[in-house]
Amino acid sequence: MTGDILVFVEQRAGSVREVSYQLLSKANQICAELSVRLTAVFIGPKASFLSSDFYKKADRVLVLEDERFGDFNCEIARDVMVGIIKEQRPAMVLVGHTPWGMDLAPAIAAKTGLPLSTDCVDIKIEAGKVKAVRQLYGGKLFARVVFKDESKGCIFTVRPGSFSVEGYPDRMGEIVPIEAPKDLPEPSSRFVEYVDTGAGEVDITQAELLVSIGRGVGEKERIEEIQELARILGGVVSCSRPVVDKGWLPKYHQVGTSGKSVKPKVYLALGISGAFQHVAGIAGAGTVIAVNKDKKAPIFRVADYGVADDLFAFSDAIKKALKK
Amino acid sequence: MIEMLHPAARTYAGIPGYVFGWLAFSVAVLFFAHVMRKRYILLKAGRADPRLEKIWERLKGFFVFGILQRRQPRYLWAGIIHIVIFWGFVVLGLRSIDLLTQALGMPVLGLLMDRSAEAFYGLMRDIAEICVLVACLWAMGRRFIARPKRYEGSSHTEAYIVLGLISFLMITDIGYDAIGLVIEGGNGDNFAPASGFASLFFQETGPSFLRSGHALAFWLHILAFLFFLCFLPMGKHFHIITALPNVFLRRLAKGSVKPVRWDVQGLEEIEKIGVSRIEDFTWKQLLDLFTCTECGRCTDRCPAFSAGRPLSPKSLTMKLRDHAYGMFPLFGRSPAAGDKEDADEEERREIFGNILTEEEIWSCTTCGACEEECPVFIEYIDKIIDMRRNLIETSNAPRAFNQVFMHLEKTGNPFGKPPSKRSAWASELEGMSVRVLKEGDETDILYYVDSYPSYDPRAQSVAAAVVRTLNLAGVEFGILGPKEKDSGHQVRRMGEEGLFQLLMEENMETLKGIKFKKIVTTDPHAYNTLRNDYSIKFQVLHYSMLMNSLMEQGLLKPKRDVEPGIYTYHDPCYLGRHNGIYDEPRRLLKSLPGLKLVEMERSRDRSFCCGGGDIILWHEISSEKERPAGIRINMARKAGAGVIVTSCPFCLMHFEDAIKTAGLEWELKVVDLAELVVSTL
Amino acid sequence: MDIVVCVKRVPFTQEVDLEIDRSKRFVATESLAHVINDWDSYAVEEAILLKEKLGGEVTAVTVGSEDDEEVLRRALAMGADRAVRIESGGMPMDGTVVAGILASVIRNIPCDLVLTGVQADDDNQAVVGVTLAELLGLSHAAVVRGIEVSGADIVARIELEGGVDEIRRLRLPALLTIQTGINEPRYVSVMGIRKASKKELKVIDVKELGLSQNDLVPPTEIEEIYLPADTGGAEMLKGDPSVVAEAVIDIMRRKGVAL
Repeated sequence: MTGDILVFVEQRAGSVREVSYQLLSKANQICAELSVRLTAVFIGPKASFLSSDFYKKADRVLVLEDERFGDFNCEIARDVMVGIIKEQRPAMVLVGHTPWGMDLAPAIAAKTGLPLSTDCVDIKIEAGKVKAVRQLYGGKLFARVVFKDESKGCIFTVRPGSFSVEGYPDRMGEIVPIEAPKDLPEPSSRFVEYVDTGAGEVDITQAELLVSIGRGVGEKERIEEIQELARILGGVVSCSRPVVDKGWLPKYHQVGTSGKSVKPKVYLALGISGAFQHVAGIAGAGTVIAVNKDKKAPIFRVADYGVADDLFAFSDAIKKALKK
Repeated sequence: MIEMLHPAARTYAGIPGYVFGWLAFSVAVLFFAHVMRKRYILLKAGRADPRLEKIWERLKGFFVFGILQRRQPRYLWAGIIHIVIFWGFVVLGLRSIDLLTQALGMPVLGLLMDRSAEAFYGLMRDIAEICVLVACLWAMGRRFIARPKRYEGSSHTEAYIVLGLISFLMITDIGYDAIGLVIEGGNGDNFAPASGFASLFFQETGPSFLRSGHALAFWLHILAFLFFLCFLPMGKHFHIITALPNVFLRRLAKGSVKPVRWDVQGLEEIEKIGVSRIEDFTWKQLLDLFTCTECGRCTDRCPAFSAGRPLSPKSLTMKLRDHAYGMFPLFGRSPAAGDKEDADEEERREIFGNILTEEEIWSCTTCGACEEECPVFIEYIDKIIDMRRNLIETSNAPRAFNQVFMHLEKTGNPFGKPPSKRSAWASELEGMSVRVLKEGDETDILYYVDSYPSYDPRAQSVAAAVVRTLNLAGVEFGILGPKEKDSGHQVRRMGEEGLFQLLMEENMETLKGIKFKKIVTTDPHAYNTLRNDYSIKFQVLHYSMLMNSLMEQGLLKPKRDVEPGIYTYHDPCYLGRHNGIYDEPRRLLKSLPGLKLVEMERSRDRSFCCGGGDIILWHEISSEKERPAGIRINMARKAGAGVIVTSCPFCLMHFEDAIKTAGLEWELKVVDLAELVVSTL
Repeated sequence: MDIVVCVKRVPFTQEVDLEIDRSKRFVATESLAHVINDWDSYAVEEAILLKEKLGGEVTAVTVGSEDDEEVLRRALAMGADRAVRIESGGMPMDGTVVAGILASVIRNIPCDLVLTGVQADDDNQAVVGVTLAELLGLSHAAVVRGIEVSGADIVARIELEGGVDEIRRLRLPALLTIQTGINEPRYVSVMGIRKASKKELKVIDVKELGLSQNDLVPPTEIEEIYLPADTGGAEMLKGDPSVVAEAVIDIMRRKGVAL
């Protein structure tokens, strides 16, 4: 297998996203194994580019600095990547499986005709063949995916957190400025602004004890019983995505990839199934205690302690025990 | 004896009295006819409702509930007062007709009765008049002084007007007779106590005054009577005309729910499902609205109302009635006739958003306490379910239902758990095996478990107890296992009729493939639905009925005493009120050794609903102040009981929750009847 | 505003122990109940809300067999005006192939906006939406949790990570992949869905579309499906609720909370 490993680096408001470091780390491993070049692509202002040292993690960084495209623009990113791919024929293209990545990668695949495997949790090379590992049915099953024809290259979006950032000796770090494609049509989409929905009455990222509820709470009106539990324990109420989707709690309570990452000393997960998007948000938590009626709930795989019971029965028992 | 012309024969300003009589009569009749016609048009706008089947049963009910007024004394003094006034009116009917014909100058009745009949009738009449007068005064005093709570929101003005009017009728009639006696010379022939007594006051009065007084009393009486006639169909006293027909036309099929439309077969053919406007109700439902007497007995017994929910059955009926009268006014054009161009007017025809709130409708537990009390047999539950049906069709039901309905449709249970695990509870029973029936199998008893006892851990122990008991009694039985789907009971009463029919059809298909003698259910809801809602009439028993019969046959032999304590039995709504099963569970309980049974004040058909086995499981009414179950457990305490026995898994769950919430675990316990029976075997 | 919504019918797998078939390449789904893909029901609801606000027509499209018409009927009952099913003959497909099939049909439906769900409950791929947009030449955004129409543009609120949203302006016609929570999908009753069968539901066979063999061969393939390894997991606390409660309080106190 020849051809670079091409990594698309995501930057938001000038700082490089954590997932990009993870991709570079994995790419480094693959490059070492296959003895190929590690090339990164960065679109954004040079100032932000230089303020981090990520470019040393690649052999080459292709930098497009254009004040028109300081913020992510999918069409521009796509055209830039497509141009590079057509010219340089990398063996693999790695993109983070983030909302931007989900916008970009299929667009690149459609324009280049390269096969695409999304939301991968691992990339393997077995007997010269590239294989991706991803999940099905919300994490209930794993699947190993292969490509019909990877000779022209292949594209992966990688789930953030799948690879850890491992220190490795700096690579070449050659910076190659590139230009925006000529005759660029006016992009049909335009960045307007960022909005922080995380601001709210309560900052769950600062709490030492989080009492977190999931779909298992059943109904908005029952949340009060848990709010009381949190009050008694001196903790703060947080929740998983379905609770916010149903409008039971405002978004600033949400823990998970599309919510907040939290690092409490103790995380009490009540009626939460343990979908990975939620679990990703508690990676930094100290001790996780999970309560769920279903003994097979995925949360029990990642929790430190588990209670297979109805969350309200558990809550009532705690309240009673504390009254004494 | 004083010379006198009959007031109708006298002339007033040259015009004979009967002319005025005819005038007043004509005006009254015209007005009355006009109002009745408008009311009839309102009824005709309603949908079809066949009510003439089982004539003999209807006549019996008419006699017992209409003539004998058997429901009235459930509220003792109010009942007695009403029976007196009712019977008074029956007796006095003849008198009224007599006086009216006199006013028209055609006194025919006098010709039909001979002297002794007249004397006898005079006695009856006078007694009736005294009783009615006393009853009216008592009623007015009671209303004014004691202020029974259930009258709140009813029209007091109308009540006083009518009671006053009736009293006035009595007084003017007595006065008329009294003066008449004096005029005739008052021989002791007539044993007319009232008029006889009153006549004493007129002994000294001069002839001209007597004549005037006589005429005055007569005409005042006639005018009051005609006024009363016209007043009747304007408010709650319309029931005087419509109550007896309403009782005759009452619903005979207890426990079931009316079909969406009586006159259209096939749910798919129905364009508008449910009720959102007054004319969507059936004519009988509209007749109900005419007949409400605003007595408040329904609301007084309503568990939702007691819990602080926004539902009051009386208020619901009154609001719908007023809305109906508003849509079909006595004068002017009807806003409800045809489709209008004015969007605002169209909007005002809608019940929700104008007259009733959705929370009112979702508050009902369908327990039937209201229908059990109503002396004029108004039907509340069908109306509420009809309104729910439309809310569901127009996507206006609480969102919490979406998942529940989806789960029921896709997995046959409200939890969304896999059907393959429906009988997992049975395979986990120690020392017992439960037969899972397949198509073509034969058995004696088919044990229909239903969803909660299959999947909910607490309810599963009830199912286990039933199985254990059946095994010990040597009964041959089997369960349907994964092919069993939810009976659909909750779904039907929540208003998702299409889903109910889907579940029913699938269950009936499965049941048809198996030969069995009887079905036994864990829960009264399934019992009710399989027995009353399903279109195939199965032989269904609730487990308490089967166990009682096994006990009486000696197939169950209790060896141990029950745990010591004072027990009380809570009648579940769908076993008790809706299906009349009160005695068998009690006989079963009494057959358990060492069991001391007390009755709660509200027991049997007055049992207080635990909160219900449907909506409350998924949707809370935010204005609720106290859970119905919380109110009920206090009734048990008041009766001196330490253990509440239930025969319904939902009652069981609600009471356990309530006891925990109230922190009464040391004082009160709740146990399921099946579990109790097993503990003695 | 005329809208096309793409919907998929997926197995309902809550609490189900999924079975892998003998070839180890497929999941046995025949005995499972099927429902509309969760994301797609939000997309349909969003389309209907836009239609109610701005007028226009909504077309629902799916690729699949006759059984899959169920989700089209749901979309029709929610308020879509017509539906199209593309009969795929049971051939193996992946996201790229599905997008290609959809594109060849949607190309002939005049519309201002195409909505799809972010991803599907079964394969969780998130490929069809954006691929379809590219094939149709539409501007696109993924993971949208809010939509506003502003003249000839659409302003999308995109859900990024960490509680931050991106506001992006796209020129119409556009394609958006819809995230859960954007609205509350309305309930449609069993009767409502049956009545929706009176609305137009067209069936097109994929063979009529003139797609090349190449377009219909999936570029990706599953080599093997397997269960996750049981890696220890939580220490389960057992016993009476009161005993468990004491144990949990003890753990919390030792970690320095609930003191």
